[in-house]
Amino acid sequence: MRQNQALQFIKTNATLIALVVLSVALALADPTFSTARNLSNVARQVTIVGIVGVGMTMVILIAGIDLSVGSVVGVAAVVVTLLMQAGIAAWIAVPLTLVVVGGVIGMWNGFWIARYRIPPFIITLGMLTIARGVALTLSGGSSVAVADPRFASLGGGYIPPVPTLVILAVSAALYGTMLIRGLGERWKSGGRGKLDRLAAGAIIAAVGFALAVYVFGRGDGLPVPVAIFVIIAAAAIFVLGHTRFGRRLYALGGNEEAARLSGINVTRTKMIVYVTVSLLAALSGILLASRLNGASPNLGTMFELDAIAAVVIGGTSLAGGSGTIGGTIIGALIIGVLNNGMSLLGVSSFYQLIIKGLIISLAVWFDVLQKRK
Amino acid sequence: MSEVVLKMEQIVKEFPGVRALDNVNFEARAGEVLALVGENGAGKSTLMKVLGGVWPYPSYQGDIFIKGENRRFYTTREAEESGVAIIYQELNLIPELSVAENIFLDRQPTNRLGAIDWRKLNSDTQTLLDELGIRDFKPADQVKHLTVGKQQMVEIAKALSKRARILVLDEPTSALTDREVAELFRIIRKLKQDGVCMCYISHKMEEIKQIADRVVVLRDGQTIGDVTAITDITLDQIIARMVGRDIKDMFPAPARQRGEKILEVRNLEVDHPDLAGEKRVRKASFSAYRGEILGIAGLMGAGRTELVSAIFGACPDATHGEVLVAGNRIDIRSPADAIDHGIALLTEDRKAFGLFLGQSIAFNTTIASLPTISSRSIGVIDAARERALVEKYVAQLGVKTHDIDSIVGTLSGGNQQKVILGRWLNAGPKIFILDEPTRGIDIGAKVEIYKLLDRLAGEGVAIVMISSELPEVLGMSDRILVMREGAIVAEFTRKQATKEAIMEYATGARRTGQ
Repeated sequence: MRQNQALQFIKTNATLIALVVLSVALALADPTFSTARNLSNVARQVTIVGIVGVGMTMVILIAGIDLSVGSVVGVAAVVVTLLMQAGIAAWIAVPLTLVVVGGVIGMWNGFWIARYRIPPFIITLGMLTIARGVALTLSGGSSVAVADPRFASLGGGYIPPVPTLVILAVSAALYGTMLIRGLGERWKSGGRGKLDRLAAGAIIAAVGFALAVYVFGRGDGLPVPVAIFVIIAAAAIFVLGHTRFGRRLYALGGNEEAARLSGINVTRTKMIVYVTVSLLAALSGILLASRLNGASPNLGTMFELDAIAAVVIGGTSLAGGSGTIGGTIIGALIIGVLNNGMSLLGVSSFYQLIIKGLIISLAVWFDVLQKRK
Repeated sequence: MSEVVLKMEQIVKEFPGVRALDNVNFEARAGEVLALVGENGAGKSTLMKVLGGVWPYPSYQGDIFIKGENRRFYTTREAEESGVAIIYQELNLIPELSVAENIFLDRQPTNRLGAIDWRKLNSDTQTLLDELGIRDFKPADQVKHLTVGKQQMVEIAKALSKRARILVLDEPTSALTDREVAELFRIIRKLKQDGVCMCYISHKMEEIKQIADRVVVLRDGQTIGDVTAITDITLDQIIARMVGRDIKDMFPAPARQRGEKILEVRNLEVDHPDLAGEKRVRKASFSAYRGEILGIAGLMGAGRTELVSAIFGACPDATHGEVLVAGNRIDIRSPADAIDHGIALLTEDRKAFGLFLGQSIAFNTTIASLPTISSRSIGVIDAARERALVEKYVAQLGVKTHDIDSIVGTLSGGNQQKVILGRWLNAGPKIFILDEPTRGIDIGAKVEIYKLLDRLAGEGVAIVMISSELPEVLGMSDRILVMREGAIVAEFTRKQATKEAIMEYATGARRTGQ
């Protein structure tokens, strides 16, 4: 019985265990990996794919796909830099780009997919090309530079260590009270089934906070894009797990016809999802442009694959209806840690591609294996 | 008398919670058409699947004798090899391939190089078609361009190409035009002369009189009476065998009070999804009242599901006519609209159209009424409220589970159905439509559902219940509509209704009057 439970724990948390094993192995192989500075870098690199991955999780959850996100990253980066070159202030240029690039492309995708039931694979594949073409056209094929310190702080800035520690302490306290409240409710209603899982969650969260203190509580502090990513991820976890909208996504992905016959507005829900993913991709593009102090029209090429990989490694089913944001974050971290570690160890970037591909295949194989049982 | 080529003895087939076949005995002879008749769910299709090896030995009990030899089929292929061919209602042809390719699928004649010998393939097919006297299509025609009737001919030719001596036809005329039926019958008569034994499954009485030599009735998984020559039995006697014994006290005693009219449907029509100009539902008009259970009887494919789906807004673009709720004409463009107007629909196929199999009982219960467990503004779900609500329904409906977080896919059919009932109860409907609410669930759960419906009616809900089980319709309904071929052809009060009368209208044996 006990052994069985342990096996079950390993199975349900396989990706998390893989991440831990991978990180420990890398830390042993190369001490640089576990320095706060390096881990902070990994976190910042992960945010770009992570933010897109959050949107991609929602899309894949409803049994869809969005291949255009990488190109949206590129267009958004080009548009925001061009706007600022034209003398528009950052605080206008950023939201304007979100709406014009993210909103419009998302609505276009959503319109055809939701209203006319065109397969998402096809329509977003088309948008992949269109958006890249737009990015190249607008930029004339060359890089666009921008020099605005306030804009640069969006992707490259830091929240200093002391405020970071305060923020961490407050969030830990908030999380703790939520946990205790949830625990109390469960205890009262006698639903003991999820108790172990709740305990596991508490341990994972504690380790996470400790790590965050170690990595961000010193040196430069917390990178702004990491903070943005954490806020987005937390919001998405809340929306998927605790709101009507989240329920609708799981319903839609699980059985679209049953969802419709349960009174769910399928068209509107799909529309919102495709707009959301485009908005998040545009945000990624803006953050990237900010960190690089400029945009190249080829920014974000192949990002869609990294985002999909993160989602799939994180255990979200491509058939729709099951998956979590938490899984996607772990998936994105695995990809990020792997990239970082392999570079530290001096693995050639050609090999990196092969290894990454193998890991994605492995993750899917594992998923299929689990489903069969 | 000719030789007995097929004998099925004491066949029993059980599914979890249901005994689909319960001691079936019959025999069929070479060169005869044996009609197998029975209500929906009587076990006809299951029986044929046992014969065809779809339910392989030993998933059933009993003996199958082919030409006197006891046979046990472990695969469909073994059944085919001993001369059994089954032509299912849903044809199994590959639309993109030609007639000849379909007939000789996986058995195409090849030349020395291993490539398909097209000339021989087509000439062999032509020979086969000539033998059957089929001139309507050629071996090279693509199957997708053929009508359903012609596709059926292809299936028959395919069966004969495998030297089938026992041919089972499962409701072969359900999608055919009159001309196609005539052509089918011509071929059946031809095969009879050639000594082929045919089992003809149908519930269309006129056809059976026309084409069958002998008839055997199946009811509740049992053969009722012996195999009888068609000349020795009247249609009434067949129907009497089909509907069988009286209703036991499974049903709550009706003490219901009819309230005000809550639903009125006027001239509702539903277009056929594939055939332009054809209708699935024709000029259907009826009313439902608070506190009343309205039963809708009819055979499968009579348009009952389409009628209620249309009312529920499932196919707004194909629906014409008027729906009034509490006297006001309403425009239902989606199921969401229908739910807003207090209509609920429990669908026929709970796995395909009802359940979210990978989700929990709680998820499945609250999905159609999320506002009842969430904040008005941004829809934050109150987990404690959800838990309390779902636990209430689980207790009230007697869903057997230890935890409302259990995955619905792991529950039995009866418990799954109760979860969906809970879903709609939580939506608080004024009009509750149920499409085959007790299909595929055990007797105990059925009785619980009957009690629940009676109670709901007592609370003033208008219940509209589609059922193919006549005892159920008769036992539960205050009023009964009978549908046939998309139209409401009869209406009975509880007092007037008899099984025989309903069956006569449903099968088209009687057409006029009320």
